[in-house]
Amino acid sequence: MVMEIENGKVLKTTITPGAQLTARKGSMLYYRGDVRFVPHSMGGGGGMPGFGAMAGAAGRMMQGEHVAMMTVEGQGESYFGHDGLYIDIVQLDGANQLTVEASRLLAYEGYLQTAIVPLTQQGGMRGAVRGAVTGQGMFTTQLSGQGSVAVLSHGGTFSLEVGPGHPEVVVDPQAYVGHRGPITVDLTAKVGFRDVVGKGSGEATQLKFTGQGTVWVQASEQKF
Amino acid sequence: MTNEQGRAAATSTRARTHEPDDGEHVAQLRMTGHRVLVADLRGETIRAVTGSMVAYEGDVTFKNAGMGGGDGFKAAFKRKMTGESLSFMEVTGHGSVHFAVDAQHITLVQLENDTMSVEASQLLAIDGQVRMDVKFSGLRGATSGQGLFTTTVSGTGTIALLSAGGPLIALGVTPQTPLVADPDAFVAFQGQLNQSFVTDVTWRSAVGGGSGEAFSLRFDGHGVVYIQPEER
Repeated sequence: MVMEIENGKVLKTTITPGAQLTARKGSMLYYRGDVRFVPHSMGGGGGMPGFGAMAGAAGRMMQGEHVAMMTVEGQGESYFGHDGLYIDIVQLDGANQLTVEASRLLAYEGYLQTAIVPLTQQGGMRGAVRGAVTGQGMFTTQLSGQGSVAVLSHGGTFSLEVGPGHPEVVVDPQAYVGHRGPITVDLTAKVGFRDVVGKGSGEATQLKFTGQGTVWVQASEQKF
Repeated sequence: MTNEQGRAAATSTRARTHEPDDGEHVAQLRMTGHRVLVADLRGETIRAVTGSMVAYEGDVTFKNAGMGGGDGFKAAFKRKMTGESLSFMEVTGHGSVHFAVDAQHITLVQLENDTMSVEASQLLAIDGQVRMDVKFSGLRGATSGQGLFTTTVSGTGTIALLSAGGPLIALGVTPQTPLVADPDAFVAFQGQLNQSFVTDVTWRSAVGGGSGEAFSLRFDGHGVVYIQPEER
């Protein structure tokens, strides 16, 4: 299974038997060959650890971290796109996890594990507060394993390395796309008097990334 | 992550903090891709549209530049009176700051002791050597819904312009080749240009059968007009 960017907004995938793909439901643009699209089984792809499959799926819907996915299998080429949004391919080498909002997932290789994790896992109550303040919700999606993930963004993304020499990267919550590797995310609120009276710089809440890894940022502050 | 030509991002961008200090360093505005502006700050101040920061590294502070966009009380008063108000923030510190607005294309224009008239909503950032002011732009604004005043930027330095829908289009104007532009696509002009308002209101457009191009901007003289490929 190979993922390629056809142009900035269309993803080309090569499907072979035994190497299936999970894609956002309805995102197929066209295909060639013998390709089948099967709605994703309930709760598939991991779900909440410790829950049954059904409970996992139901839980997902309630969390707002649910985007209907489908399994793509067979033999041929299939092309995907969504809403004219730009697509980036992120490679996972098995050692690192990718954290991304479910709504930004276009497709991923079938043998990647997905898990819905509560933000409280990344910093306890502060994580929950972060989700509430930034409008991200209380849960986020993590992908792990070895393979490619196609991520959607408005206007394309650029990446920033976090690690030695770059101890701290700060990102606007609306422009944040995802991050890979052992990174700690913190909400920093520089809310001063000026922000309260509406004379702020418009950058009152920010996400602070420390640790080691990569952060992806989009060229727009539009969420979807 | 793969990126290709024409994408917002090309490579991971880094602050150039290790370069030798050349004394009179001017904040460096540069592009990464077509839709992201990067400012490398070493203690200087630049001004950018409020809320346009998408990411930064280093020790950087963001402060509302005040009503005049940082150009004093007179500019603030004019801004208030004319409705040509756009909120700017002052960005100061050491580090690199990334700016982007709604995935719009960004174009850098160098000013050499020059003046440029800009549609306020299409101005993204200016560096410390450039001043902003508001000036009466004739009657065109009254009907195009853009206000009677335009923002001018003058001095020596770099300004970053936004263009929706694709790259900015620069159109040369000479006395032999005047230019007529749609007010909704107009972004900026530079040079010795005389701006006038063209109306083509006939009984047809009055009853709703017009072509939708009843009002236009006409530029005569010598200069450059910048147009974006999307109407606001």
